[in-house]
Amino acid sequence: MNGAIKQLDNRIEIVTPENIEFTYRVAGPFRRLGAYLLDNLLCWVFIIVICIITFLVFGVLQSFGTVALVGLVAHFFTTWFYGGVFESLWNGQTLGKRMFGLRVLSEDGQPINGIQAIGRNFLRHADTLPWAYWTFEESPIPLSTLQLGLLFMFVYGNYQRLGDWAAGTMVVLDEPQQLYGVARVTEPAVLQLATQLPVNLVVNRSLGRALSAYVQRRLRVPVARRFEMASHLGEALRERYNLPANTNYDLLLCAVYHRAFIASATEVLDEARPMEVART
Amino acid sequence: MKVVELLESRLQNWRELEQLCVQLEHHRKRTAGAPAVGRFATLYRAACADLALADAYQLPPNTVQYLHQLVGRAHNQLYLSRKFAYKRWLYELLHLVPQRLFHDNCVRLAFCLFYGVFIASMLAAWLSPAFADLVIGKEGLQQVEEMHADSVGGTDFNSAQAGTGFYLNHNATIGLRCFVFGILLGVGGIYETIFNALYLGAMFGFMITSKSGPNFFQFVTAHGPFELTAIVLGAAAGMKLGFSIIDTRGYTRTASLRRAFREAVPAAVTAVILFGLAGLIEASLSPSTAPYAVKAGVAVLCCGVLIFYFVALGYPRGGQTDAV
Repeated sequence: MNGAIKQLDNRIEIVTPENIEFTYRVAGPFRRLGAYLLDNLLCWVFIIVICIITFLVFGVLQSFGTVALVGLVAHFFTTWFYGGVFESLWNGQTLGKRMFGLRVLSEDGQPINGIQAIGRNFLRHADTLPWAYWTFEESPIPLSTLQLGLLFMFVYGNYQRLGDWAAGTMVVLDEPQQLYGVARVTEPAVLQLATQLPVNLVVNRSLGRALSAYVQRRLRVPVARRFEMASHLGEALRERYNLPANTNYDLLLCAVYHRAFIASATEVLDEARPMEVART
Repeated sequence: MKVVELLESRLQNWRELEQLCVQLEHHRKRTAGAPAVGRFATLYRAACADLALADAYQLPPNTVQYLHQLVGRAHNQLYLSRKFAYKRWLYELLHLVPQRLFHDNCVRLAFCLFYGVFIASMLAAWLSPAFADLVIGKEGLQQVEEMHADSVGGTDFNSAQAGTGFYLNHNATIGLRCFVFGILLGVGGIYETIFNALYLGAMFGFMITSKSGPNFFQFVTAHGPFELTAIVLGAAAGMKLGFSIIDTRGYTRTASLRRAFREAVPAAVTAVILFGLAGLIEASLSPSTAPYAVKAGVAVLCCGVLIFYFVALGYPRGGQTDAV
């Protein structure tokens, strides 16, 4: 597989210490933006909650300065340390990342360490540049435009922002995936066609991949388009197995798939026999 | 063996591994128990083997995709990030960081730049109030004067607390911004350092001539050494990052930046600790009615601690090793 295809697919290959290669999907800017906004929201909720608690405790003592002190200290720590602390303790995840199914890893697939977690979150403030200033009651309020981080994500590989580049980290999708098992074809015409295939039918790996990919997706494709897609491979298979010219290519691909993945020649005969009996 | 039979024979193991992953994600290994961890390792190895042979088994693409995700998920549980290692961090911060900083040209540059501009700006503002006007603005100067119009300890408790919170947040943010913007080829860090030195210098110079001056110096003396040193340290760490992209010393730019990152982040953490110590003094001693001699004594003590840290602990003693 060449580099261009890998990049298009957003997948990166990781080789584990057990010498097993598996892939991760790198998270793009939109997914990460959701987690970033959620984390920011949670930080503000935390600051407000802690201010309310402090107010309830110290308000009775008329110590409103303490509320401001606690609020400002909480603001400082959430701004600079929320991401670093959570990613260190939660194996590369913050609350937002966990909810959006994201995880920060080292470029080699290993978990990040404390220095990487803290450093990449410090440098997030450079990624938010340039700042636009919004004036509210004559006070300028800085607003992050995230342009530098976005620019870097598109220029540098694996959607890494400036902080990721410096720390040698990347953000990957880490969410549970459903196992659907093997697609089964139960159409009688397919089973009938499967009996006409050679007993010693063996498919090579690339043909096997193409067949299973086709069978998994075929029901989501309109019949006319399905036939058009199947004809490319179906024509060659029909000639190889000496089948009649009017063979339906869609059914042929399903029949070859059924023989290769689901049932042997004798099992296919057993499956098809009751249908023949019923027909007679 | 047909794929469907193979899948049926493996399915139970994969589901079990998935459940163990969920269990380990929510409860740590210690609470999961040894048998579960042992079983997890066995199933992980089996899933790795299945994935390695997926092509030979001709597993369908969605099953292969599921296996990639399952192995990745289990891999994340097997190789967790290291927990916070206090001893390693202490070794890093008390042994390695001062030794690195002792030789660091960026620290020297940041020190000269910050204090050079600070002193020049202070002298300029002292000799010519117009200079302070130019740098801070009339409104800003008026605000600072008003803030310190009452003698230290004379301001009400609420205002003192709120002011302490503001200064702590504001000044520590300045220091960390000097670090962060340093990555912009060092230029961002130099700009932030010069700007803050100019601003703070002009403020100090103006306050010398102001009637609120004694109150201002009463307030800043005790926590000043830690706070200003933390700004210098943050700026130096940032410059180290930025300059490493330009002067790569034979490494690729990425490798050079990552080497610098490994050293700069602990230095920035040291700066944060200094800000924290400054904040403690700022919240307790600085706004108190304690005699000026006590505050000056604390400032001298802080300078002593800094000299001990940077010179005594930083003096070269032979080989270095990476700790964290």
